[in-house]
Amino acid sequence: MIRSIEKHRNILDFTLSSLWRRRGKNLALLVVYTLVVFSLGSVMFFTEALKNEAAIILRNTPEIIVQRMAAGRHDLIPVAYAQKIIAIRGVEAVKDRLWGYYFDPIGRANYTIMVPEGMDLKDNELIVGAGISRVRQVFRGNAMLLRTYDGRPISFLIKGVLSPDSELISSDLMLVSRAGFRQLFGLAEDHATDLTVTVLNKKEIPTIAAKIVDAFPDTRAITRDEILRTYDAVFDWRGGIMIAILAGAVLAFLIFAWDKAAGLSAEEKREIGILKAIGWETADVLQMKFWEGMVVSLSSFFIGVILAYFHIFFGSATLFEPVLKGWAVLYPDFRLTPFISGYQLAILFFFTVIPYTVATIIPAWRAATIDPDVVMRF
Amino acid sequence: MIELQNIRKVFNEGRPNEYIALHDLSLTIAAHQVTVLKGPSGSGKTTLLSLLGCMARPTAGRIVLKGSEITSLPERFLTDIRRKTFGFIFQQFNLLGGISVIENVMLPAYPLGEPFAALKQQALGLLELFNLTHKAAAKVEWLSGGEAQRTAIARALVNHPEVIIADEPTAHLDTKLSREFMDIMRDFKAQGKTILIASHDPLVHESPVVDRVVRMRDGRIIDSGAI
Repeated sequence: MIRSIEKHRNILDFTLSSLWRRRGKNLALLVVYTLVVFSLGSVMFFTEALKNEAAIILRNTPEIIVQRMAAGRHDLIPVAYAQKIIAIRGVEAVKDRLWGYYFDPIGRANYTIMVPEGMDLKDNELIVGAGISRVRQVFRGNAMLLRTYDGRPISFLIKGVLSPDSELISSDLMLVSRAGFRQLFGLAEDHATDLTVTVLNKKEIPTIAAKIVDAFPDTRAITRDEILRTYDAVFDWRGGIMIAILAGAVLAFLIFAWDKAAGLSAEEKREIGILKAIGWETADVLQMKFWEGMVVSLSSFFIGVILAYFHIFFGSATLFEPVLKGWAVLYPDFRLTPFISGYQLAILFFFTVIPYTVATIIPAWRAATIDPDVVMRF
Repeated sequence: MIELQNIRKVFNEGRPNEYIALHDLSLTIAAHQVTVLKGPSGSGKTTLLSLLGCMARPTAGRIVLKGSEITSLPERFLTDIRRKTFGFIFQQFNLLGGISVIENVMLPAYPLGEPFAALKQQALGLLELFNLTHKAAAKVEWLSGGEAQRTAIARALVNHPEVIIADEPTAHLDTKLSREFMDIMRDFKAQGKTILIASHDPLVHESPVVDRVVRMRDGRIIDSGAI
């Protein structure tokens, strides 16, 4: 037993010394390998963390949103619809919502504007997201001028700036009072943007949604699950773009790794021949090559994963910002809650460490099975 | 000690480039003696040496080592015999570049699972024997021809082999170093080791240390020498 441990120790020792001998080649390999793990890991961590974050935020969204459709386009909904919807058995509450988009010529961006529930705002008061505050340089106590639907300017008093914690979805958000919203958009009292419906029994959501559409054929009922699915699709799509771009890099890496690892140089083949001639078994040579592959690939894997973790959760995913953060119009400046699943790590491991190890072992096995007498002819 | 019975070795058998290196050859090597295989290039010396040292298998025939037939043994057992029984000194020395002299000497013993500290002590002892202690940490690329040769000999001895096999050991050495090599072989013989050398260098086969010269040509033994 002790002899066996000593044997492995001796071979590992020699492996490390072998790696150091070819440090130029191995360092180049380590850098490229780490870069690939870092890029793939960053995309995976980012999309998963965003999906996770969105799921947490959307947990509080209403079970059903009812929107009126006109010629396939979202239209304002009469508030009177709420009376009929509340009468449907199983509906707990119906509320009207006011929200829309405001184009700001100064910031050259569309902001989301909405009337918050349970927040007491005066007619001329406004709360803005951190992104708007940055772009317009407005802070608590400042005045901000907005233009109404017919071009008249109205001055709002900034009551506050939304916490940066929620910046992922609130970067470009403005919160106003009901009166302020109606004044800005010229919206009559009997209309709202849409209605939210709360249901007593969650299992009945699809049935009630169907009943609403039945009662009002000019509306559509969007359930929470559908919204979650949409967000999932959006993030998967964004992640997919990055993966597609990275696929080229991964392919290049595989070719590079194959060339470096698989293509044993004449020098390495000669060394394997010498080792066999002086008493190493094929299994010993394979063990050495296996350790060699493991040292390079595991080091790269861990360094890459750690770098990706810091890049995403502490560096705000700086490198992927333009592609991945398209949620708000104004780029949010935020930190994601660290979230890593074993599944993600396993996928990453499978696509990086396993192919490299195989690429190292097969040619070494081919070289290690040669007769040791070949070395006599060098 | 080693008996070859009707040995035939064919390379690339059945292919257009088929080459018969050894023809139906029989030979007995006695223990504790210095035996030299002498012959021109292509006579089959190196092939015979590799068969004797369990580095390759014959195409036909049997090899008997200390009374046991070893030709049909699986690779694992053959390797085990090779590393415990034989110590090899190659024509080009075949030291591994980039690592130190002492690591090169310890290399054959790594798979045996000797504790590292004990192994290092043993290797240092061998280096001392060949006046190479001061070079222990040096890379082999920095060694002179004589130092490289002595390192290769120390490596051949690390597993305490009974038989030393040397293939054209003086091919790259000057007269002084060649004589030194034969002096070392004389000491080994005195210690009771069996020595097999393939060489066409007169300094080797005419040396008084040599007990027997086997002359070869075209894969055949033309004179099995006096025992």
